[in-house]
Amino acid sequence: MAMAALRREGRRFAPLISPRPITAVRSSPIVPTHEYEGPIGVRHISTQVVRNRMKSVKNIQKITKAMKMVAASKLRAVQTKAENSRGLWQPFTALLGDLPSVDVKKNVVVTISSDKGLCGGINSTSVKISKGIYKLNSGPEKETKYVILGEKAKAQLIRDSKKDIELIITELQKNPLSYTQVSVLADEILKNVEYDALRIVFNKFHSVVSFVPTVSTVLSPEIVERESESGGKLGELDSYEVEGGETKGEILQNLAEFQFSCVMFNAVLENACSEQGARMSAMDSSSRNAGDMLDRLTLTYNRTRQASITTELIEIISGASALEG
Amino acid sequence: MTLNLCVFTPNRIVWDSEVKEIILSTNSGQIGVLPNHAPIATAVDIGILRIRLNDQWLTMALMGGFARIGNNEITILVNDAEKGSDIDPQEAQQALEIDEMHNLACLFVNVK
Repeated sequence: MAMAALRREGRRFAPLISPRPITAVRSSPIVPTHEYEGPIGVRHISTQVVRNRMKSVKNIQKITKAMKMVAASKLRAVQTKAENSRGLWQPFTALLGDLPSVDVKKNVVVTISSDKGLCGGINSTSVKISKGIYKLNSGPEKETKYVILGEKAKAQLIRDSKKDIELIITELQKNPLSYTQVSVLADEILKNVEYDALRIVFNKFHSVVSFVPTVSTVLSPEIVERESESGGKLGELDSYEVEGGETKGEILQNLAEFQFSCVMFNAVLENACSEQGARMSAMDSSSRNAGDMLDRLTLTYNRTRQASITTELIEIISGASALEG
Repeated sequence: MTLNLCVFTPNRIVWDSEVKEIILSTNSGQIGVLPNHAPIATAVDIGILRIRLNDQWLTMALMGGFARIGNNEITILVNDAEKGSDIDPQEAQQALEIDEMHNLACLFVNVK
């Protein structure tokens, strides 16, 4: 839209710069064919319009700069929490292994996204991956369900996968994230959804400019038993003597629940970090674009101003010379 | 031979260094762990973890979780943990009294 406006302004100047006499330009038949706002007979865009545009672009630049700084400070706060929570799920992976390729009947995809927008493409990538997992795991006797955390994924997934959504949870970040809150959430999910494998999709925070979409898999205890019999990483589980309860199954159940809530906690924190980082870079590029646009508009403004001054002078001079001679 | 002990809570890493021996409290009783213990995965009750470094015992309060003992590596994941030296007895006593009063008040409400 900005480019179209500039083009219109450019075309308006063409008759002035051309070698045609001024009087011809005044009543030039070319003028009506230009599409511009303003009554026919006005030869140049009013500087008022350009000045208004410049003011609004400058305001946008200020707002996006402020949003970037806010996102930077929020990022610092969440980043330390996320790094501390990383140590939580590593022992689970060491004990049980991470098997994304496990073949199960009932998959549940937990998509974690943000509530607010203006954060770049992270929510779209999460949704894309969730849909990909859904496609991968669809087939006879297999079913995949969604559990959605966050408004943005809800908006995107509700459009075409409405019947597969089990649970939607929004406004997660209203209160500062704590483990108790997430474990309550995890409990809710485990109660309401039957699953063989839970796949949590989130954006892992590697650095301020890199957010990698990741999938963490948490298996239900029955599948863990099944896989441990078939050997591999989980086979080592049998070498551990499991204590602390009535039966091994009960311990594995508790372990699976604990694992799920730990992994969820880490996933939610990492996603929050990625959201702030993505918002920082989106707002940064937005302020830079606004700056560029402001430069172009300033040039246009100056040209307009100088053109109007030139026409004033020429009118005066030609009027004076007409009087004399 | 020393054991490498890591105690994690969701918010922070409470302990990550080498120890000589630990005493862990599970729901089937207290177990002592020395170097070269057999591999065990167990649930940890709300209780006290005792750590021995060179003949000096340290205590830590754990709020329940899981423990995994591998080849001389112990990983304990708990909901919350506090080092004994960080606990102020006065504060703890006050918190205890407040909780007891709170429990009594809840009883009253229920009875009504």
